[in-house]
Amino acid sequence: MAALRWLVYALGGGMGHLTRACALARLAARRGHAVTLLTNSPFAPGLPLDAVLGPGVTVWRPGATLDKQGVREAVARWLDAERPDVFVVDTFPRGLGGELAPLLPGLRARKVLIHRDLNPAYVERFDVARAVDAFDLLLVPGEDAPFAGHPRAVRTAPWLLLEEGELLSRAEARGRLGVAAEEARPVVAVMGCGTPAEVEEAGDIAARLQSRLEGSAVVRWLVPPGAREPRAPASDEGLPSRSVRATALPAPPHPSDALLATVWPALAVLPGVDVLVGAGGYNTVHEARATGTPLMALARARLYDRQALRLRAEERADSVEAWVERAVQLALARPGRGPGPYVSGTRDAVARIERLLLSA
Amino acid sequence: MSPPSEAPCQETTGFLFSHACGEPMEAACDRCGKILCRDHVSSVQGESLCMTCAEEEEDDEGDEGADSDSDSSPTEDDPSYYYDDYGYYGGSTWGGGSSKDPNDFTEADGESLRNEDDASFEEDLGGS
Repeated sequence: MAALRWLVYALGGGMGHLTRACALARLAARRGHAVTLLTNSPFAPGLPLDAVLGPGVTVWRPGATLDKQGVREAVARWLDAERPDVFVVDTFPRGLGGELAPLLPGLRARKVLIHRDLNPAYVERFDVARAVDAFDLLLVPGEDAPFAGHPRAVRTAPWLLLEEGELLSRAEARGRLGVAAEEARPVVAVMGCGTPAEVEEAGDIAARLQSRLEGSAVVRWLVPPGAREPRAPASDEGLPSRSVRATALPAPPHPSDALLATVWPALAVLPGVDVLVGAGGYNTVHEARATGTPLMALARARLYDRQALRLRAEERADSVEAWVERAVQLALARPGRGPGPYVSGTRDAVARIERLLLSA
Repeated sequence: MSPPSEAPCQETTGFLFSHACGEPMEAACDRCGKILCRDHVSSVQGESLCMTCAEEEEDDEGDEGADSDSDSSPTEDDPSYYYDDYGYYGGSTWGGGSSKDPNDFTEADGESLRNEDDASFEEDLGGS
């Protein structure tokens, strides 16, 4: 089909909104579409977005100094200037600050919501049902959601950032993690993401696992690029830009610095990981399941996302102490990898959006 | 309260991106010593506190109040408050009987659900 202009709205903390939006954006760009992605993820400045997204995607980080009203005005200007053919909104039908609710009815683009579970108190208090009705298509990516039964809702498999052929082989992945090819011990990887504080806490967990496992496993602390390096500010000019300037001090030394493996997307190296220790975020959980990587997770508190609902009983630890203990037991048991298959709904999602545009 | 100085405020601020406030010092937190500007100092029962210590103080006061205000009716912390006809496990999973369902949540899981009555919806753009 003809190349069209896609805008993908992925405001929201952590890495989840950005990662899911990147999955969609890169496949849309490979289909020839011009994609602009809006993010305020604090991790975005450090990530190799150019390499992962390819040349067809532009990333816009709105100015860091904007207040709520400023964000509303910037998003309104962005929509007016870009004139998209399709506007894709991740998770928040009203926009993260409620700024989309008055804008969507007048927007001449086709509107697509990536519809996921939301805190029911928010759904009720902010009349999210009304906001959902402004969308032409609701894509439900692999999990239940409050309006999954909406007449315009379509379920897909969970969206993954990489296709199966893009994952590293087990040997390559272990090499990327600094593990020797002849190493026979299992690799336990502690995922550091979510918030900067949780990245540091993951380092603490890695140190505890290293101590408890007493050399019977290789422990790694997975950290996205830039998370423990100087941070860059957003573009205060309010223009789409990937250029960054580092201004802050580097992260202080951590006892687990020797275990550090700076990698993104972590999905690429999961074939080399025997036990994944992480939180219950969308990408961590679905990446572990798709690659058959045994997961031990702690459900983190979030404003909108309810991680405990995502985790299965065998994946979910009840406390930090149980998290460490059960991860140790899992590593010592040396479980085999799950059978797969590796299924991602991202390509299906792009196809369904293209179909919507053809019907316009 | 300490006199103003050139030391920068150590609180974080920002709607979209959290960053150091950096405004001139007005006071230091009486409990943790964090340097605070005029906008980030809170006066709580005669103490000058940072936002974190002030919230802890308010939480402590709230807990004391809650102890004396028990109510047996369902609250937002009760799963049945929301899950009559929507959820991952279906209504039949909850309540009744003595058998333990492996999918039941524990008190620890409640930590990740605790924000259900959070008032900062659409105010915290670091939320997820």
